[in-house]
Amino acid sequence: MSLTIDFPEVWRYLGYRGTAPEGAAARAIEEGARKVAQAARPRSVSTVVPVTFGEGNTLHLGPLAVESAALRKNLTGCEEAALFAATLGVEVDRLMARCSALGQVSQAAICQAAAAALIETYCDQVNDALRREADGWYLRPRFSPGYGDFSIQHQRELARTLRTAETIGLTVSESLMLLPTKSVTAVVGRSRTATPCHRQGCEACDKTDCPFRRG
Amino acid sequence: MTFLQALGRKRLFFDGGTGTLLQAQGLKGGELPETWNLLHPERLIAVHRAYLEAGSDIICTNTFGANGLKFPAGGEYDLETLVRAGVQNAQKAREEAGRSEDAFVALDIGPTGRLLKPMGDLDFEDAVSLFAQVVRAGAEAGADLVLIETMSDGYEAKAAVLAAKENCDLPVVVTTVYGADGKLLTGGTVESTVALLEGLGVDALGVNCGLGPDQMAPIARDLLQYASIPVVVNPNAGLPHTESGATRFDVGPAEFAQKMAELAGEGVHVLGGCCGTTPEHIAALKNACKEISFTETTPKGRTVVSSYARAVVIGEDPVLIGERINPTGKKKFKEALRRHDIDYLLGEGFSQEEAGAQVLDVNVGLPEIDEPALLTEAVCALQAVLPLPLQIDTSDPVAMERAMRRYNGKPMVNSVSGKEESLQAVLPLVKKYGGVVVGLTLDEGGIPETAQGRLAVAKKILDRAVAEGIRPEDIVIDPLTLTISSDPQAAQITLEALRLVRRELGLRTILGVSNVSFGLPQRELVNSHFFTLAMQNGLSCAILNPLSAGMMASWRAYRALSGLDSQCGDYIAAYGGAAAAPAPAAVPAAGLSLEDAVLQGRQESAREAAKAALASGKAPLELVDGALIPALDQVGKRFEAGTLYLPQLLMSAEAAKAAFAVVQEALSGEEGEAQGTVVLATVKGDVHDIGKNIVKVLLENYRFTVIDLGKDVAPEAIVEAALRPEVRLVGLSALMTTTVVHMEETIRLLREKAPEVKVVVGGAVLTEEYAARIGADCYAKDAMATVRYAREVYGAE
Repeated sequence: MSLTIDFPEVWRYLGYRGTAPEGAAARAIEEGARKVAQAARPRSVSTVVPVTFGEGNTLHLGPLAVESAALRKNLTGCEEAALFAATLGVEVDRLMARCSALGQVSQAAICQAAAAALIETYCDQVNDALRREADGWYLRPRFSPGYGDFSIQHQRELARTLRTAETIGLTVSESLMLLPTKSVTAVVGRSRTATPCHRQGCEACDKTDCPFRRG
Repeated sequence: MTFLQALGRKRLFFDGGTGTLLQAQGLKGGELPETWNLLHPERLIAVHRAYLEAGSDIICTNTFGANGLKFPAGGEYDLETLVRAGVQNAQKAREEAGRSEDAFVALDIGPTGRLLKPMGDLDFEDAVSLFAQVVRAGAEAGADLVLIETMSDGYEAKAAVLAAKENCDLPVVVTTVYGADGKLLTGGTVESTVALLEGLGVDALGVNCGLGPDQMAPIARDLLQYASIPVVVNPNAGLPHTESGATRFDVGPAEFAQKMAELAGEGVHVLGGCCGTTPEHIAALKNACKEISFTETTPKGRTVVSSYARAVVIGEDPVLIGERINPTGKKKFKEALRRHDIDYLLGEGFSQEEAGAQVLDVNVGLPEIDEPALLTEAVCALQAVLPLPLQIDTSDPVAMERAMRRYNGKPMVNSVSGKEESLQAVLPLVKKYGGVVVGLTLDEGGIPETAQGRLAVAKKILDRAVAEGIRPEDIVIDPLTLTISSDPQAAQITLEALRLVRRELGLRTILGVSNVSFGLPQRELVNSHFFTLAMQNGLSCAILNPLSAGMMASWRAYRALSGLDSQCGDYIAAYGGAAAAPAPAAVPAAGLSLEDAVLQGRQESAREAAKAALASGKAPLELVDGALIPALDQVGKRFEAGTLYLPQLLMSAEAAKAAFAVVQEALSGEEGEAQGTVVLATVKGDVHDIGKNIVKVLLENYRFTVIDLGKDVAPEAIVEAALRPEVRLVGLSALMTTTVVHMEETIRLLREKAPEVKVVVGGAVLTEEYAARIGADCYAKDAMATVRYAREVYGAE
């Protein structure tokens, strides 16, 4: 699977709003993106589980019991969901640590933005592949712990169910951080009927005053 | 027959997957399989029996996920009880199957599921303790061996091996997970992993999970090529794929057996299966191997050191060991050690890496410092960001042990000598932790004057090391370089000793070459020629300054002349026309003013402009106040106005930093004083530190001294720093809602213990209100806001 860095996204993470970087900054961004692409070893794992809806805002995703209005809404009409996890691997974190240790904070910041863009692109690709494989199913946009009221506590159960530590080297820290840092866990609903859905990722977030908000 | 009697003398078969079999018996997705050891022992016994009856010689206890993180003390299940029951179920099955005499119970230990520091949050010693708990329970229950499996991080595997070795006498087998690219998830290669694990003294090593037999074959072949101990191969039944919601593996028993039998024929001693394999797979495998003859493993005799990422072979091609991380004769380095400036050490590491060093010597010995603590810290900091193997260089055995223990790989160890005290202190450490040890040819009688005398000391070191259980290839002899200005024969004696050690003992050699020219003019001239002579006489590695053009020239020319540099590629890369021209980005733009250089974010230009301005007689302080600060202010304002962006702000900051480094040296005492001291830390539980590092650079630009405590810092450590008399401001960073809790806790403790100190906070999830709620004095939305607040606190505005 070939991965390319989505530069407009990198620029957005670096705070550029509607303009493209020029000159030395543009060159530095290209350099950082190249290093990130080289260091990344993207890996993912997924499994499909049945979805059942309980009382109130509760729902069950296979072994996971979740209480979340937002996820419930996202999965309305779904009989199944793919649990999904992806990571760029620990070398990307090491690259950022190395930039910082070298006193190159501009490169560290650029690499972190490029890595943030790359993990999103990678997740999009994996989700597209899931969509192609799911014959006869319609797939919802991925929904991650931390979106709305879907608690990030569930990262731990997702990681455990998918055995992410063994399969893709993705772990959850004591304080519920995903490590390596450029990683994603998510739920992708599967329904037998098409449901129009126009909110995804950034747009689905409730933090409307976010400085990095798309659009 | 014991496991060790069987291992390496006949082919042994592991069992296959258990997960699939337990699921078939009703184990649910979210259920912890180890609980079945107590809830459904009969089902576990049935699974073990099925494998024994299929022909498995080694059955693994159902304890893969049994650790104190998944089963904490005081929880529903007692960890030790689960582990003991796991061993007992396997023993029961073995008895029922009538295999008590020839089948072995392996205490199965999987990874903790957490990433080790510094990239993760689990401390190395905590990992050792977690594994130790399982090892003790399993060994007490009577397991025959410890199987450490599915490790994707060599460092975690090391923690598990140490736990096993320190808590039982059982044989240890380790299998790791490789990707299809032949690397561990954390970056190690087959070669570096073999070096690490053989160094630690495991009894067999190999690969499991992740791949099917097909994809695993090249990895198995690499293992056979490098390993001197029996190789284990336990693949999945192919690559997993999802079929109507369930994970499936496609390689059936017949195909599995055929592919694995090929590997048995190539010398794999221990074969079995992992995910998706069944008793049918094992039965077919055993049957397919029946006619294949068994060949014993041969010692490879390779001298290898490793880091988390790579292996460096010490052999015919001379290896360069960078000598610059060493305070001897270096005033600046000593000062850096005294003020605990780890960044300075890292800088020395990076510059030597860039110059071509393949291994870095690390020596931080100064009489007045806590060497064990500092050496360990230096090793940990270097190995976090540099892929080069390290040479741990100390005469303090305590420092040596602590650094070797924390080292992520198989280190070089500098050094042991022929002195009794040294032999007794150092050799057991090399045996326990693994390493290639430098043997100095001197003893109680001093340095022998003759080559034969030095050979005799080398022989003594070799004999003692071998008696200790260390392999001869893990000893590298230093026949010692003495000064030709005091003894004209000194170099000839060293070279003669070098030849003798190679010829008579067959050992690799090492020299620190620069001593030879002491007291002479143009030392590099003598050093580089001596280096060439030494290589010609069979030197395997040299401790030298890779920033010395002359030494590097000798090395490159020697390699090209000796057929070690394929098509003279390295030589041409170093001295060919294209590489000789410096990269355009580094060329200072001629005539750029200091202010413009900072505005444009050009480091080289800023440095040059600062030098030029000082040379033209400008007062240093005038440069700071008249050019650097105004330029930074301008950049800062444009950043806040949204007309200039983060990368530009930071590049300007880096340019200002480069210029300031030049100016700093010219500043007189009082003028050079900082604006104030700020403590910075990313709070406990949080490993995101880029934001904090950005703030640090900008504060330093505005001439604040920053005490950078790093990331994942406990509240107590922050308070301790805040209590220093010069500190009036603490800056805390947290990226996640889950770690803001620790930020709040830190602020509470600061208020209690250091009420005078102001607190500024920042980070992605924080807002003005949130910051106020957790008791911060100031919320900084970005790095410039922190600078403004710091100036306010210290009255600079």
